[in-house]
Amino acid sequence: MTEPEPVEVVLVDDHHMFRTGVKASLDDRVLVIGEADTVDSAIALVRELQPPVVLLDVHLPGGDGGGGAEVIRSCADLLGSTRFLALSVSDASEDVVAVIRAGARGYVTKAIDGPALSDAVRRVAGGDAVFSPRLAGFVLDAFGAAAGDVATGDDELDRLSAREREVMRLIARGFSYREVATELFISIKTVETHVSAVLRKLQLSSRHELTRWAAARRLL
Amino acid sequence: MSTPTLAAPTARLPLRRPERGRWLAGVAVGLAAHLNVPVVWVRLAFALTAPFGGVGILLYAFWWLTVPVGDPADAAAQARPPALARLARPQGTDDDGRRWPVTDVAVGALLVLVAVVLIAVRSDRVQLDWVLPSLIVLAGLGLAWSQLDAVQRGRLRRRAGGRTPVSVLRLLGGMILAGVGVLLLVSQANGEGVEPAALVQSIVASIAVLGGVALVLTPWWLRLVRELGDERAARARESERADIAAHLHDSVLQTLALIRSRADDPAEVARMARAQERELREWLYDDRPAPGTSVAAALRGIVAEVEDSRSGPSGDPVAIETVVVGDHVPDASTEALLQATREALVNAVVHGRPPVSLYLEVGPRMVEVFVRDHGDGFDLDAVGPDRFGVRESIIGRVRRRGGEATVDCRPGRGTEVHLTVPVGEEPGHDEGAVPEGSVPGAAPADAREDHA
Repeated sequence: MTEPEPVEVVLVDDHHMFRTGVKASLDDRVLVIGEADTVDSAIALVRELQPPVVLLDVHLPGGDGGGGAEVIRSCADLLGSTRFLALSVSDASEDVVAVIRAGARGYVTKAIDGPALSDAVRRVAGGDAVFSPRLAGFVLDAFGAAAGDVATGDDELDRLSAREREVMRLIARGFSYREVATELFISIKTVETHVSAVLRKLQLSSRHELTRWAAARRLL
Repeated sequence: MSTPTLAAPTARLPLRRPERGRWLAGVAVGLAAHLNVPVVWVRLAFALTAPFGGVGILLYAFWWLTVPVGDPADAAAQARPPALARLARPQGTDDDGRRWPVTDVAVGALLVLVAVVLIAVRSDRVQLDWVLPSLIVLAGLGLAWSQLDAVQRGRLRRRAGGRTPVSVLRLLGGMILAGVGVLLLVSQANGEGVEPAALVQSIVASIAVLGGVALVLTPWWLRLVRELGDERAARARESERADIAAHLHDSVLQTLALIRSRADDPAEVARMARAQERELREWLYDDRPAPGTSVAAALRGIVAEVEDSRSGPSGDPVAIETVVVGDHVPDASTEALLQATREALVNAVVHGRPPVSLYLEVGPRMVEVFVRDHGDGFDLDAVGPDRFGVRESIIGRVRRRGGEATVDCRPGRGTEVHLTVPVGEEPGHDEGAVPEGSVPGAAPADAREDHA
């Protein structure tokens, strides 16, 4: 069995020190091929290199002040081949929802350790979504799932299915995808499918709390 | 009555006209606070000096015009350097809210009355001086200009845009008075009495002129208003920036200095960094609910306490990944739940293996907590009944509130403590009430523990 090709990533963050730290912590199956530190240089670099994965800070200077979400929106035509993983120090849910709804495939906090981040990059490169416990908690909150508001049909965008809710709860409790799979007696692939479905709902839902709440912060 | 006790005895309070306790314009109260004497003396002094050439009245008017409105104690607090003030005062929490301006209304009514009487007198062709009309003009101007004072001193800043009914009333009253006075003066200068027809004609003419002028000046005025708005926004931003700078100075810089001086102690450095990060996060992202209104906030407090005071088995501080969904007003049940959660967290941090995760979910009928670590856990059955820790402080606490506690540990999968308590939906159901589904006969024990 040959060693798989390393995943090429572009790293966008305005703190030089943080970029250095991330580069040092990533394992050898992830290769940083470019770095940018503003909205404008990030857009230019992503368009030039078209990497499979962009590690993107949510708060970036430059551009129209839209930060990471603006970068994703400006590269919307690349979303089929280039995937964005948001990386932020912020806990604020408005930051999360802005960048996810712009099209990011996941959201992790900067407290994440190197192996977990490398894992997340590979997962995003494979087309899956990456949820941190906090993002899972936010999803449960925004979709009213804690109150038992659960979808009955598959095509409902505004509510989570019972299974998706279960997966989100486990992730919020600190379970890794593998642990979720073991706990629910399903395969990791199925867990990833559920998480991607939740991400899609988060991006497309017109769930009134979500939109009202984002509108109140002038995100949409 | 409003002599502030807040300031240091050595520092004299700045001269302000407070809104509390004023009779007319707050000059006497403000002076009393400034000089640190009873307000009665100041009022007496004004009253006594008034007959002697109007000295008291003149002085009063002088201070009325020159001294800004405000609470002297607040002004003293604001005068401190921003780095010393913990946080800028939040807007909108000022003491008295909106007070009906009795004095303004009284003065206005009096002046209108005078004008009416005067017109009646004039129509009876009783000749009077030009003094009275000019007095009326002055009074009208005073009424209208007193508004500027208020705007300038920022009293209206916290009312939306300064367009309150009172200020409009003031402006209108002042305009009418001034108009009537001017008309009277002009007719006086003509040396003839005022014909009603001529009066109406001149009123119409002057309104037309005013309308024309207003039309011409409107764009300019609009621009002025917009610039004022921009300036206010800029000032708000500036104050926020000062607020943030003060906070960074207080907390972050000091922690960084501490970290540098303790650089040889990695565990301590990690702990300080974690504590600082938590504090900064709370400051930046939380809504900072009032104490005693939020289970989530109470939980964060507990997490902070455990992170700060406990170390893992190897002596390193352990970060607790906390996720909260929903919130609830604390009651006896959630209090018990939080206490049990604390014990579970301590257990996970001290005996388990990081990462430690904490998840709290508030559902419509129950509150759930999961505390998870990656250690090998403990066998509940192997824990002797005499061991008070887990059995009593975690499981017992929750069960007495009608809740459930389970410990799930499987080799290689870590340990998870799952706690639930039922919560009533109706408020006021909290104090000492036994929640539905509680174990029969458990309530007395519960009451004993809580009130012992």
